[in-house]
Amino acid sequence: MTPTVSASGLSLRYGGTHALDDVSLRLTPGVTGLIGPNGAGKTTLLRVLATALPADGGAFTVLGQDPATSAGRQEVRRALGYLPQTPGFHPDFTPFEFVDYVAILKELTDRGARHREVRRLLEQVDLGEVRGKRIKKLSGGMRQRVALAAALIGDPGFLVLDEPTVGLDPEQRMRFRELIAQAGEGRTVLLSTHQTEDVAMLCHRVLVMAGGRIRFDGTPAELTARAAGRVWSSTERDPGAKAGWRTGTGSFRNVGLPPVGADLLEPTLEDGYLLTLDEAEVSA
Amino acid sequence: MTWHVDAEDLRAYSQGELSPPALWSADTHLVDCAECRAVLAEVGESVDAAWERLDAELDAPRPGLFERLLVRAGVADHTARLLAATPVLRRSWLGAVVAVLVMSVLAAQSTGSVTLFLALAPLLPLAGVALSYGPVLDPTYEMAVVSPMHGFRLLMIRTVAVLAAGLALGGLATLALPGLGLRALAWLLPALALTSAGLALSARLGPVLAPALVGGAWVGLLVVADAVQAGSTLLPFTAAGQGVAAAVAALAGGLLFLVRDRFDRFQGSAA
Repeated sequence: MTPTVSASGLSLRYGGTHALDDVSLRLTPGVTGLIGPNGAGKTTLLRVLATALPADGGAFTVLGQDPATSAGRQEVRRALGYLPQTPGFHPDFTPFEFVDYVAILKELTDRGARHREVRRLLEQVDLGEVRGKRIKKLSGGMRQRVALAAALIGDPGFLVLDEPTVGLDPEQRMRFRELIAQAGEGRTVLLSTHQTEDVAMLCHRVLVMAGGRIRFDGTPAELTARAAGRVWSSTERDPGAKAGWRTGTGSFRNVGLPPVGADLLEPTLEDGYLLTLDEAEVSA
Repeated sequence: MTWHVDAEDLRAYSQGELSPPALWSADTHLVDCAECRAVLAEVGESVDAAWERLDAELDAPRPGLFERLLVRAGVADHTARLLAATPVLRRSWLGAVVAVLVMSVLAAQSTGSVTLFLALAPLLPLAGVALSYGPVLDPTYEMAVVSPMHGFRLLMIRTVAVLAAGLALGGLATLALPGLGLRALAWLLPALALTSAGLALSARLGPVLAPALVGGAWVGLLVVADAVQAGSTLLPFTAAGQGVAAAVAALAGGLLFLVRDRFDRFQGSAA
């Protein structure tokens, strides 16, 4: 399958820090999750792929267009939907006005066509009823949906979502996941998140990032399988474990190299993620 | 009904070519007028398509006062919306500008010296333009940067609007200083020079440091000019000073054009 995004050797330094260190990836249609701790380089990678930041080294294409040139960058941006980590809104704008504003930035200058597109997108994210209400009076979940509607203007082939479920309550998160799943049908979505649940529920593929590098690239099942035979239960926290925490039953769940005769548990995506981060720390 | 939409307007409406404010009038009228709806159905597209267009227009909230004024003044509706989203073109900023100008005019009238007014007036457009674009004050900056509209174009649209507002207010304040003749306009060229220099340098130094440095340099220049003052007028407001300001404005404008692509990339903290 021809990848929507193809990147090789991307690097970016700030001072002495490698925000991106030789990142190569290929993204295909469907939702790809990008997980990693704070400071891993997720937002920087998203900003580079969204053409907001130029990389120091390496190259990438989006839908066959090279954003290194001004003309290529404009083409990439026409095919791009971007929801930043903290989407900002003009306080006096309504959802309709805000999405309309972003539509103008996306070169939809024909008023009639633009308004029909804005209306369609607000209905799609279930905000048709509040389209005329001031954004500052909407809940956090509704605001995120306004930003998603803005990102979906022009039916972008590549959608970049930077931690869209942060700060949402569980119900809002579920609603937002449904919208992301819907948005992922027929287009390539790169979803940065802290929540392994997001990845488990939405993604056909997952990238784990730490220290500016991609530490894992595979399916969620493959990431989970990394922890097979390396998760066990104990009555006390096992000091030899890489990570351990008390569960709802009162027993401890440990991840690492189990002692002989340990009571092994079924691994989860989170276990695989923790072990991958631990291995990244050891190799750093 | 006491009036009906003109047939030409209805034809333009059916083709999606009718512009505001005539479009707003037609939208409002068509909801209540079966006769015009019937004509609309005859002149062009299908009734369903016309209703869909009408629905979309009715869903659109009525633009704010500022936006409506811009459209009535002949600004295209999409440009008016871009300007309505400019952070400094809001009442709080414009109020602050008016307050500063009123205070400096009152000071000039009470002391008989216009130096404070001439020193402050060029700083207002500089600050206004600096605050109209960038990650600090524009909440939608990040979304704007990755949009197909070139960042420099958006910057220029906003700069022209902020400059126009700032220069108009400065001009009005100048009218309150009668008897000074052309001397009262001596802030104009320095204002253009500071604004264009601030913008050109912000491509390299960022939207906060560059205007701060330019503003600081202007204040420093005035302090030095005051210390070495020979005549009754500070050097920057003499004919020679005005010539230098014009040259700086032209040079900075050229430099700004050369570095325009830098405004097409994110200028804030990257992490």
